[in-house]
Amino acid sequence: MMEITCVINGAARKIAFEPNEKLLHVLRREGYFGVKDGCCEGHCGTCTVLVNGRPVKSCMMFAAQAKGKEIVTIEGIGTVQKPHPIQRAFAEEGAVQCGFCTPGMILSTKALLDKTPNPTEDDVRNALDGVLCRCTGYHRILNAVQTSAKYLKEAKK
Amino acid sequence: MTGVPLPEFDYMRPLTVDELSAILAKHKGEARLMAGGTDLIPLMRESVLRPKYVVDVKGVKELHGITTHDGGVTIGAAVTVNEIVESEIIRKKFTALWSAAKELSDQTLRSRATLAGNICNASPAADSCPSLLVLGAEVEVVGAHGKRKIPIAEFFKGVKRTALAQDEFVKAVHIPNQPAGAKSLYSKWKRSWGEDVALVGVAALVSGKKVRVAMSSVAPTPVLVPEIGNVFYGEGTLEEKIEKAAACVPGGICPINDVRCQAEYRTHMAAVLTKRVLRELLGVKK
Repeated sequence: MMEITCVINGAARKIAFEPNEKLLHVLRREGYFGVKDGCCEGHCGTCTVLVNGRPVKSCMMFAAQAKGKEIVTIEGIGTVQKPHPIQRAFAEEGAVQCGFCTPGMILSTKALLDKTPNPTEDDVRNALDGVLCRCTGYHRILNAVQTSAKYLKEAKK
Repeated sequence: MTGVPLPEFDYMRPLTVDELSAILAKHKGEARLMAGGTDLIPLMRESVLRPKYVVDVKGVKELHGITTHDGGVTIGAAVTVNEIVESEIIRKKFTALWSAAKELSDQTLRSRATLAGNICNASPAADSCPSLLVLGAEVEVVGAHGKRKIPIAEFFKGVKRTALAQDEFVKAVHIPNQPAGAKSLYSKWKRSWGEDVALVGVAALVSGKKVRVAMSSVAPTPVLVPEIGNVFYGEGTLEEKIEKAAACVPGGICPINDVRCQAEYRTHMAAVLTKRVLRELLGVKK
């Protein structure tokens, strides 16, 4: 058993796990079910979380590597009552169908827009490259990212 | 399959090169180094690898950072592929490596994956390797018996096999400065717009009459096709030389059939990509 401290969604946490456990499974055990367990081999991207602001597939990290890191999951950015502007944009653009890829899509979008508030379509495609969606055909997701950029700018005014 | 736990191991995170050296000297075959983990974790998940110790090299400060010096640029073993994509110097001066880094897997994996990991995994399809071959990179290796530098062309020994001894690890990759006016590029052919392993990858470097072309996914290791270099010292227009260069490709490679495509298609596309990359670098329109 190992124990580390890290920051999850803004709160300092102490978590315990075995060395062979991935960050993905430890986060789910801790109750962060927005971190989805998909392919578990680095392809689908639905387990994406932000680690120190960068989108990372949590199935490609051991929990041990999260020591001292700041982790953000989908639970950390908004709620049903008070959605994040990106979440509102995804809902309003119809970019959510089955919803399984959505946490990865939204966190990848957040990482993009935090750095690049006015992304080109190429920037958006590149940023979402790591997350697969089998429902929407991606068009509505691409639209949702542009709408997110707009909402975020409005929120700053 | 997601619920299947990984084989058990001890996680080690050395903080210095000496500490890392000592761990490897002690545990040799039982330890497996992890840089980004993006190749290691899937292999452990499939139980292809069952190391007793996983040694995370990202804690070693000396392995971080891209440094430029009079001789060129040095990329530490813990530098992620996204750090390479974000490097202005690599984009401008070593464009083949930059364009390969941009094509490697996807945005999220590039936050973890490393250049050193890509070469140590020694996949025939490794995106960074053709670029390192045309740029004449050197691999700085540290082992129990000291340091040595291995030219990248001598680093790959076969599918997933490298010149590293059991007690050795890659400290950094050095890329020498190229002659003034040299240009380079990598082009990847894959099945989808998004993340995929290369069906064929072609890197080229053009510097006056000197032309070097290397490829991935067409042989047991990434390979240079030296015959192409000779073509550009001969007679003819640039377009004729590019056609001649493409004609050298089938003789310089030995692709296989696999789940992604047939050998015949790989050979064809290797020639097509060679022409595309050379036309781009030589400014020949078609």
